[in-house]
Amino acid sequence: MNRTNMISLGFLLIMGIFPFVADSAWLAVGTTFLVFSVVAFSQDIILGRAGAFHMGHAAFFGLGAYTTAILNTHFGWPILATWAPAVIIPMVIALLTTAPIIHLRGDYLLVTTIGINIIFLQILENDLFGLTGGPNGIFGIDVVRLFGHEFFEQIDMYYMALILLGITLFIMKTLDGSKFGRAMFYINKDDVAAQSMGIDIRYYKLYAFAIGAGIAGAAGSMFSVQYSAVSPEAFNVLQSIMFFTIVLVGGSASLPGVLLGTFVMFVLPEIFREFETARYLVFGLAMILTMILRPRGIWPVKFGNIPSYLKKGKK
Amino acid sequence: MDIFLQQIVNGLTVGSLYALVALGYTMVYGVMKLINFAHGDLVALSAFAGLTIYTSMFADGGTSMVAVITVFMFTAAIIAVVGVLLERLAYRPLRTAPRLSAVVSALGAGLVIQNAIMLIWGPNMKIFPSDLFPSTVYDINGVVVTFTQLMILLFSSVLMIALYLFINKTKMGTAIRAVAIDQDAAKLMGINVNRIIMIIFIIGSALGAVAGLFIGIYYRGITFDMGWMYGLSAFVAAIIGGIGNIPGAMFGGLMLGLFNALISGYISSAWAETFTFMLLIVVLIFRPTGILGEKVAEKV
Repeated sequence: MNRTNMISLGFLLIMGIFPFVADSAWLAVGTTFLVFSVVAFSQDIILGRAGAFHMGHAAFFGLGAYTTAILNTHFGWPILATWAPAVIIPMVIALLTTAPIIHLRGDYLLVTTIGINIIFLQILENDLFGLTGGPNGIFGIDVVRLFGHEFFEQIDMYYMALILLGITLFIMKTLDGSKFGRAMFYINKDDVAAQSMGIDIRYYKLYAFAIGAGIAGAAGSMFSVQYSAVSPEAFNVLQSIMFFTIVLVGGSASLPGVLLGTFVMFVLPEIFREFETARYLVFGLAMILTMILRPRGIWPVKFGNIPSYLKKGKK
Repeated sequence: MDIFLQQIVNGLTVGSLYALVALGYTMVYGVMKLINFAHGDLVALSAFAGLTIYTSMFADGGTSMVAVITVFMFTAAIIAVVGVLLERLAYRPLRTAPRLSAVVSALGAGLVIQNAIMLIWGPNMKIFPSDLFPSTVYDINGVVVTFTQLMILLFSSVLMIALYLFINKTKMGTAIRAVAIDQDAAKLMGINVNRIIMIIFIIGSALGAVAGLFIGIYYRGITFDMGWMYGLSAFVAAIIGGIGNIPGAMFGGLMLGLFNALISGYISSAWAETFTFMLLIVVLIFRPTGILGEKVAEKV
């Protein structure tokens, strides 16, 4: 068993015990932490692994949340039935919106993805087709029902989020060893060399966006069920910036790094909630300091990040 | 037709403000290849600082050209100092780091400035006094132009022409262009790169400060978080024009201002930003480096 697997399993185990020592307020924070970790991993697929500067991830997260909310409240679908569309719709939208701009380099892509987020937000706020509920959002989303049982308690939410994170970790691990993962790894190291080796950069970057958006959509669906409501401000550009920063502060393409990043960027501000006014000032200073002291993130991937199956003598 | 001409006037006014802010982005980007996300917040800071300077120095309401010029000079100087400090503390240590680390640092710096404004001046909207400029209104065949608008158009054109001449005709300007093309080669030619970057931040921040003050005088209401949206629009303008290109930033700013005014006038202001980004995407599909941006071969 390698190190990454140990870290993942250890983390899942600790998080599995957490509800027994936490009160309900911290359980809610814990649930959101799990959901945000899933989104952060999906952001990491696009930003950390494919190396596409993407700062509009809250749009895909929100798309999943609104898909569940709209299908459930307007069309009466049970929550379980909305899960598949909540993954597929963000995937399709991600492909359609990023296909024309995927060739843009670095900062150009960054600003256009911010644009995707802002356009999504204006669609929500302007209540397009009367489906999104405008600035107030949508309330009264149902709970998950399975075999006559209703999963409505905070602890149910927590374990559903934990299962989602477990699935995400499994997907991340599978990706790492797949053809896609190897191509990503190469593109991120040197895209010109990768291209000259016959790797279709456009195809793999779109692939990364599709997978990332799909996972974010699943997390969004979970998020909407957790709060039984969705509103536009949960998916604004600041939220995108947070996911973007989580990956870079934690350490891009690093599994413990992304978890640590989510903890630092989301849970720590919750702990310091009492210093309401000054905390974001300190937060900004901490972002600058972290980058100066740890330019590759708090827990960066080890040198080279060469997968073990490529190393000599290890088969 | 009158509505059309009126929207053109309004659009050019807003566009000049965008252009002034966009110049700050484009100059920093040209030299450091960094999106200075804190620049928009510097613009907001200048509006607040200018308001405080005005109310503390000219509390009796004695408005004169001297008072207005003093406020502009003082504010520009303060913001220029803040800009230089920003570069020293948040960007210089990261010059050799991966590019995205500097972006995160810039985002952090923006957060710091924004929340510093909130802590100093409070979270509520502050209102600029209306008597900084005379409230004269010119009516030209049904098209209304206020004195403030005229000042914005006049003053920003003068600044832009001056900047253009400075960059293209002076020795310092040549040095700036050299650093933008190749920092290492410029260093070998005896150019002090750190000094050039400092000058870039002084000029960019001072231009942003002028824009911030004009935003306060023109719109009257200022909030601590307004820098983000102005900054983003201005940055989009800089990209549309061709980032790193100074005439491009001016052109992009004016174009975006006009475009926004016409969208707001004829379609709906609720969708203004959607159209802004649609325009950006369309421009980038056809011109991946902006309208006036040169096609740069990628270095391998």
